[in-house]
Amino acid sequence: MGSNIFGGKRDAWLLVLVMLVAVLVFALITSEFRLNNFAITLVSGLFQGMLLFLVASGLSLVFGLMDILNFAQGAYFMVGAYLAYDLQHATGVFNITEAVPDPNIRFIVGVIVAILVGAFLGWVLERWLLRPLYDRPLFQLVLTFGVSIIMLEGIRNIWNTTPYSWTEVFGIREAQFTLFGQDFSMYRLFVIGVGVLLIIGIALLLRRTRLGIVVRAGVEDPEMVSALGINVRVVFTLVFTLGCAVAAFGGAIAAPFLGATISLGATFLIQSIAVIVLGGLGSYEGTAVGSIIVGLALATMQQFSIQVSIPVLATITPMLLLVLVLMVRPQGLFGEAR
Amino acid sequence: MTTNTDKLLDVRDIHTFIGQFHILEGVSVSVPRGAITVLLGRNGAGKTTTLRSIMGLNQVTQGDITYMNDSLVGKSAHKIAQMGIGYVPEHRAIFKELSVRENLQIAARQKGDLENNLDFVFELFPDLKRLIDLPGGNLSGGQQQMLAIARALVPDNSLLLIDEPSEGLAPIIIQELISAIRTLAANKTVLLVEQNFRVATLLADYFVIIDDGHSVASGNMSDLHKEHELVQRYLGVA
Amino acid sequence: MAETTHTTPNKSARTASAQRLGFVAGLRENWLYWLILVILVLFPFIIGWLSGDSPFGAPRGDRMVMRGESVYAQSILINIFALAVLVMSYNLMFGFTGVISFGHALFFGLGGYLMGIILEFGGMDPNLGLLVSLVVVLAVTGVLGFIVGLVSLRLRGIYFAIFTLAIAEMGWLFFRGLEITNGEDGLNIASMPEWIDPARNRILVYYVGLALFVLTFVLIRRLVNSPVGSVFQAIRENEERAQVLGYNTLRYKLFSITVAGMLAGLAGMLLAIMNKEARPEILNVSVTVDALLMTIIGGVGTFTGPVIGASGLHLLDTFLREAVITIGPLTIDIGERWTLILGFIFVLVVLIFPYGVVGTWKRLQMRFRRNK
Repeated sequence: MGSNIFGGKRDAWLLVLVMLVAVLVFALITSEFRLNNFAITLVSGLFQGMLLFLVASGLSLVFGLMDILNFAQGAYFMVGAYLAYDLQHATGVFNITEAVPDPNIRFIVGVIVAILVGAFLGWVLERWLLRPLYDRPLFQLVLTFGVSIIMLEGIRNIWNTTPYSWTEVFGIREAQFTLFGQDFSMYRLFVIGVGVLLIIGIALLLRRTRLGIVVRAGVEDPEMVSALGINVRVVFTLVFTLGCAVAAFGGAIAAPFLGATISLGATFLIQSIAVIVLGGLGSYEGTAVGSIIVGLALATMQQFSIQVSIPVLATITPMLLLVLVLMVRPQGLFGEAR
Repeated sequence: MTTNTDKLLDVRDIHTFIGQFHILEGVSVSVPRGAITVLLGRNGAGKTTTLRSIMGLNQVTQGDITYMNDSLVGKSAHKIAQMGIGYVPEHRAIFKELSVRENLQIAARQKGDLENNLDFVFELFPDLKRLIDLPGGNLSGGQQQMLAIARALVPDNSLLLIDEPSEGLAPIIIQELISAIRTLAANKTVLLVEQNFRVATLLADYFVIIDDGHSVASGNMSDLHKEHELVQRYLGVA
Repeated sequence: MAETTHTTPNKSARTASAQRLGFVAGLRENWLYWLILVILVLFPFIIGWLSGDSPFGAPRGDRMVMRGESVYAQSILINIFALAVLVMSYNLMFGFTGVISFGHALFFGLGGYLMGIILEFGGMDPNLGLLVSLVVVLAVTGVLGFIVGLVSLRLRGIYFAIFTLAIAEMGWLFFRGLEITNGEDGLNIASMPEWIDPARNRILVYYVGLALFVLTFVLIRRLVNSPVGSVFQAIRENEERAQVLGYNTLRYKLFSITVAGMLAGLAGMLLAIMNKEARPEILNVSVTVDALLMTIIGGVGTFTGPVIGASGLHLLDTFLREAVITIGPLTIDIGERWTLILGFIFVLVVLIFPYGVVGTWKRLQMRFRRNK
C-alpha cells in the first residue's frame, strides 16, 4: 500500500538484484571459489530455471487470467516427458527405432507430438471440464486435482512406475561446450537457449500483439474485456491450451536429461507454484525472474547439501525462498499490493 | 412521458439476482434515441445493476430488454457490446497496467476504428494525446475517467452506458467532463447514472428514478425540479 | 463464495432456542444424530452378533488376537473417525471461516510424529507418555496454528494458501529425511500403553476414536451456532464488511485456525495409535488435498458434509480396493485401477454435485418444499 507503481517496481527489482547477488556469492563460496565448479552450478541452475519457467509460465498466465491454479500442470509436463521418451526409445508394439533410424529426427518428432498432445489435453480440460464450473472457482481447483490424479494414474497404468532414463545418443546431447574450463553437454545450452527465447518470445507476444494486450487486460479485469466486445472465454481457452502445450514441451525437452519418472510432475508443480507466488501472481516478469532465481538457488543448494550431506536442504529450497520472500513482500516480488 | 419519441433501448420490468439477493424487482427504463437519460436514486437502489443487466454482466431472470428491435436478454456481454453499446463502468475501470494507447487499442472492434475516431477523442480530451504512452495507472482520477469514456468512443457505438462519471472528481474537472459528454451526445445516445443531482440536471434530458429495485418515476428532466415531493422522497435533495 | 450453504439467521435462532428448550425438545430436533450415536456405540457388538465373531477378538492362550469381522470393522471405523475429525477441522477453518489452507497435513502429521517420538524416545511409562503426548500435541499444534494464523493477517487468499503449502512441504521433507524416525520408512510405535494398543484392545481404541469424533462434531456445531460462529461466517462472506461492523476479524480467524490445527493434531494421534506407526505420508500434501476434497464433496460449510465425505470416500476406498469385476472374458482388477477410478469419481462428483452431497441435497429439499 501507499507506494506508487514505480516505487513498487523499483523495490522489486532491487530485491531481485539482492537475491541474485546473494545466490551467486553463495554459489561461489560453495564452489570454493573455483570457477569451473561455479560454472557447474551456474549452468545447472539456469538449466533448471528454464525448465521451471516452461511449467510456471502457463500456470501464472492462467492464474492471472482465470483465477485458476491448475494443479494438473505438472502432469502435462510429465506427459511430455513420457511421450518424448517413448518416441525415442520404443521397441514394443510399434518399433520406432527401426521405423525412424535417425535419433535426431525421433527427438524432433517426440517434441512435436508432446506439444500437440499437451495442447489437446489442455483444450479438453478447459473447454469441457473447467468451463461448466466458471462461476465456482473453488470447484475448478478441485477439478484440476481430480484431473491430475487421472493423468498421473493414466501414466502409471500405461508406463508403470519404473523410472526410465534416457539412453539413446543423439547429436546435441553428445556435443560439448566449455565454460570456465569446465565441459558441458551442448544439450544444456540448447535448453537454456530455448528457455531464453521463450521468455523473450512470450514477452513480445504480450507487449506487441493484440492477443497480448487482451491477455494483459484480462489479467486485470476480464469482465471489462468482455464488455468491450471481446469473447474473453475464447481467450481463456487459448491461453490455457498454450500453457499446457508449453508445459508438455518442457517435459519433452527435459526428458533427455531427467528421463521420465512418475514423481517428475509433482516436483515441478510444487516448485513452479513456489516460483509464481514468489514472483507475484499474475505477473509475467515475476514468473520469468522467479524461475531463474529459484533455478540458481536450487543448483547452489544441491551443491551445498552434498558438501554438508544434508540432502533435504536442496529439496526445501524453493519453499524456503518462497516463505522468505512472502515475509518481506506479502504480494510476492512483482505482485500488486492490495 | 415521451411516448412518441423513437426508443433506442427499452428495458421492460426486469428482475435481476446477484447470488441469492433479488436486486432488481421490476425496473423499466426507456431510452430515447439521441438524448441523455439519467438514472437517479439513492445508493444501493439498483442503478449500477440496471446498467450491468443491460450489458449482460448480470443475468436478467425476468422481463425484457430491447435494443434496436433485438432482445438483449440472455446474450453474453461481448455480443451485446458488438451490437454497438459502449460501457463506462463506475470507479473508472481502465486497465492500469496498459498504456493509454493500449487502453484505446483494445477497444477497437474493427480495423480502422481507432484511426477513424482518434481525432474526435483527442478533440474531446486533449490531455490524452500527451499521456498516450503512460500506463493507465499513472493517470489522475479525472484523466482516468476521460480515458474510460474515450475507450467507449473508439468503436462506432450508438449507445453509451456511463456510470457515475463525476464520482470523486474536483469541480473543475467535472465541468470539463460535462461539456465533453454534451459534445459527444450530439451523435450518441447516452444512459447515465449520476449521484450528483446538479450534474444530472445540467446533462440529462430525461430521468428515471429507481428506488429499492423498482423504477418509481420517469419524465422530462426539466420538469423534475417542480416535483419537490418526488425529489425529497427518493433522492433526499432539497 | 456461492457454493456454501447459508445458515439463515432464522434457522440458527431456531437451533439455539431448541437448545434452550431442554433435553426432550433437543432429542426431537436431533433424533437422527442420537440414533446414529446409539448405533455407533453398539456397532462392535452388532457386527459381532451378526457375524458370530467376538468384538474383543479371538482368544489365544491368555491373550486376545485381533481377528474376526467385528474387529476388522472397528479398524475401518477408527480410520473413518480419524479422517472425519481431520475433515471437520478443515471445514471449520475453510467452510465456516473462509480461510483456505493447503498446509493442514502439517498439524495432522505432527500429531502422529510427536506422539511417536515421545512414546519411543521419551523413556517414560507408556501411560504417562500418552498423557504427555496429548499435552505436547495440543500445545505444539495450538501454538503453530496461532503462528500460522498470525501470518494470515499479512497474507490473503491464495498467498496464504501457498504459504501454508510451503510450510507443510518443508515439514514433510524434514521428517522424510530425519534419521531417528527412519526417514521414508517411518517410525514404528511399539511402546504403546496396553489398554489402547490396537493389537490387544481394539475395542477401546474404537471407543476413544468414537469419543473424539463425537466431541469434535458437538464442539464444532456449538461453536458455529454460537455468536463466535456467526462472526466466522461473516468473515467468510465478506471479511472487510465484518471489520466495518467492528469485529476484530484477526482474533476470530486466529481462534478458528488454532482450534482447527489442534483438532487435526488429535486426529493424527488417533491414526498413529491405530496404525502403531508414523510415516511421512501423514505429512504429505495429499492429506490436505484429501481433506479439501472430502469437505467439498460432502458439502462445504455444513455439519454433516465432512462426515459424509470422509466416510463415503474411505468406505469406497476400502471396499473397491479389493474388488475385482469380471464381465465375460474381461476381468478388471479394481484395486489396481482404484486411484484412477477415484480421480474420475472426483471429477464426476464435482461436475454433478456442484454444492457437495449435503449441499445439493439441501437445495433439492428446499426446491421441493417451495414447489409444494
